Amino acid sequence: MASDRLGAAKLRVLREAVRRNVEAPRRVRPKRAPGSPPAPLLWMVGCLLIAPLVYLSLPSKVGSPVTARAEASVPAGGRAAPSEAPQAAPQRLARAVLPLPIRRIVLDPGHGGAQTGARADSGASEKEITLDLALRLRRLLQEASFEVLLTREADVTMSLEQRVAFANARRADVFVSIHVNWISRRGVRPVETYHVGPTDDPDVLKLAGAENRESGYSLGAYRRLLERIYIDERRDESRALARTINAELFRALSAVNPRLENRGVKMAPFAVLVGTEMPAILVEVSCLSNENEAELLTTDDYRARIAAALLRGIRSYSTDLDGVAKKEG
Amino acid sequence: MEDNDTLCVGIDLGTSRSSVSASNGERHVVDSYVGWPVDMVARKVVQKSVLVGRDALDNRPMLDLRRPLERGVIREGSERDEEAVLELLRHLTALAGLKQNGKKRPQVRAVVGVPAEAYRVSRQRLRGVMDGMADSIMLVSEPFAVAYGLEALLHSMIIDIGAGTADLCIMQGRYPAEEDQRTLPDAGDAIDERLAKALRERHPEAQFSIHMIREWKERWSFVGEPKRRALVNVPVKGKATELDITDEMRAACESIVPPICETMMDLLARVEPEYQHKVRNNVILAGGSALIPGLSDVVDRALSELGGGRSTVVKDPIFAGSDGGLAIARDATSADWDKLSL
Repeated sequence: MASDRLGAAKLRVLREAVRRNVEAPRRVRPKRAPGSPPAPLLWMVGCLLIAPLVYLSLPSKVGSPVTARAEASVPAGGRAAPSEAPQAAPQRLARAVLPLPIRRIVLDPGHGGAQTGARADSGASEKEITLDLALRLRRLLQEASFEVLLTREADVTMSLEQRVAFANARRADVFVSIHVNWISRRGVRPVETYHVGPTDDPDVLKLAGAENRESGYSLGAYRRLLERIYIDERRDESRALARTINAELFRALSAVNPRLENRGVKMAPFAVLVGTEMPAILVEVSCLSNENEAELLTTDDYRARIAAALLRGIRSYSTDLDGVAKKEG
Repeated sequence: MEDNDTLCVGIDLGTSRSSVSASNGERHVVDSYVGWPVDMVARKVVQKSVLVGRDALDNRPMLDLRRPLERGVIREGSERDEEAVLELLRHLTALAGLKQNGKKRPQVRAVVGVPAEAYRVSRQRLRGVMDGMADSIMLVSEPFAVAYGLEALLHSMIIDIGAGTADLCIMQGRYPAEEDQRTLPDAGDAIDERLAKALRERHPEAQFSIHMIREWKERWSFVGEPKRRALVNVPVKGKATELDITDEMRAACESIVPPICETMMDLLARVEPEYQHKVRNNVILAGGSALIPGLSDVVDRALSELGGGRSTVVKDPIFAGSDGGLAIARDATSADWDKLSL
């Protein structure tokens, strides 16, 4: 009887193991014909071709902030507009119409639980550092009278979809995802900040692929989200937030870390930036692949410096918003 | 399900050690290191274009040395690590008696067990790497291979403590789903790092490498009360000096216990109540770090807090994964293998 049960269990698990192996490679890695380019190359070429096309096909929504701002102040009559104001296409709203301050901030410490993220040779892990930085930043932001929520407050596994759902459900005013980079060229130690958008940078695509690996989204859901980002006006706000944060971060850290490289503000389709409904950025505050940088990250002073810089970046963005509102008003 | 023209192979591709068990009776284990000579001089000295296992470790100053499944996955963006996996697999299949260019090569059916995290994250890349290594390949997670080999498919828990990760897996008579498994980063490598840190703090002038730390751990690791002093010879300012590292060794080894016990309890709570006592009495410790003396007693103490239970260390932790892989390879039907052909 017991051997029958074992035999049946063996058969069951074997069938399932085979099924998973058969499905997995055919879904993601189709066999290529001799002489054809490898799949990753096709994917990258596809991204390069499609992203700019989509980007260019959406004129006013994806322009530079300067262009977008100029258009915002020009009435719709500047174009051959229909007799009624268009209902479907989103219109940029003058900041002065809704001069609302930033109140609620969602901080997202990258990775956690089973998802360790990057790890230094010394053993320091990205998930531990990002959580510590988020907790420090929360304290600082609360002292500055912001309401702060964290996607995770402990070492727990959270999919990217859950993080996005958390921020959207709580109607955050801004979303800041904190990460630490890992780059195969060990000598470099960059800081860089991302907001949502298309990219043709292979390094950024690779990074986005790595960070999106455990998103939790189905392909269909992710495609719908991707379609949305190109008509999403919050991108300009996200870019402004990314700029202030990146500037403050580089200023604060380069003072004690002269070899730091400022890679600036970039666009990338990270899942947490695509899915969130508020201005959202992802900041790579440091780089664990660099031994010296990893060493600095173990110190209380350096972590405090990062948290303080992020606070200044968020506050500066918030103040700028108030300024724009007052000016437009 | 094999015939004379077929060779079934089970491979356990581990972070620290990899083993192979083949249907022709061959069984081998190698350190999961691969190295390439750094320049022409090194190439002339080692007289090989690539070195694998102990050979690579012994010649490491002259090599670009890789441990390709560091942290349980193939490192993102590292083609060299993918090459290292390929070389490691070539080496293992050669040890199993398979010549890549043999004229009368048998049909090779390989089951490759990888750390659970690599199974989740690097499965596609691993399959890509293995293209050409065998006629058909099945990838499975290491804890599943161990469970299959031990026929512990029903009401059991496998705790596979390797170097990069500790994988916990509940077996409930079905192929383990995501919620039946957990992966922890606290495993053998974490012990090494903590031991190195503690020793650097206590003996700042002592000189040692991570490889020396690993050798000390192999010999002196333990949890619980010490039964002997761990004494090692270390150069201090160039002079050989004996150090007592008992306390540091104990602290480093015991550091992995709480997360493993907590996760074990968490997974147990997910089992249907009427079967929990069966699982508690069928906890199986596998993987190289399961050999740490005293570990099973500590797990039993944690189980006693849940109403009692018993853990056992697999008889042959080094080959438990590859033997399990071989059992899977043998039991799968020809129709199954046809679907898995490369």
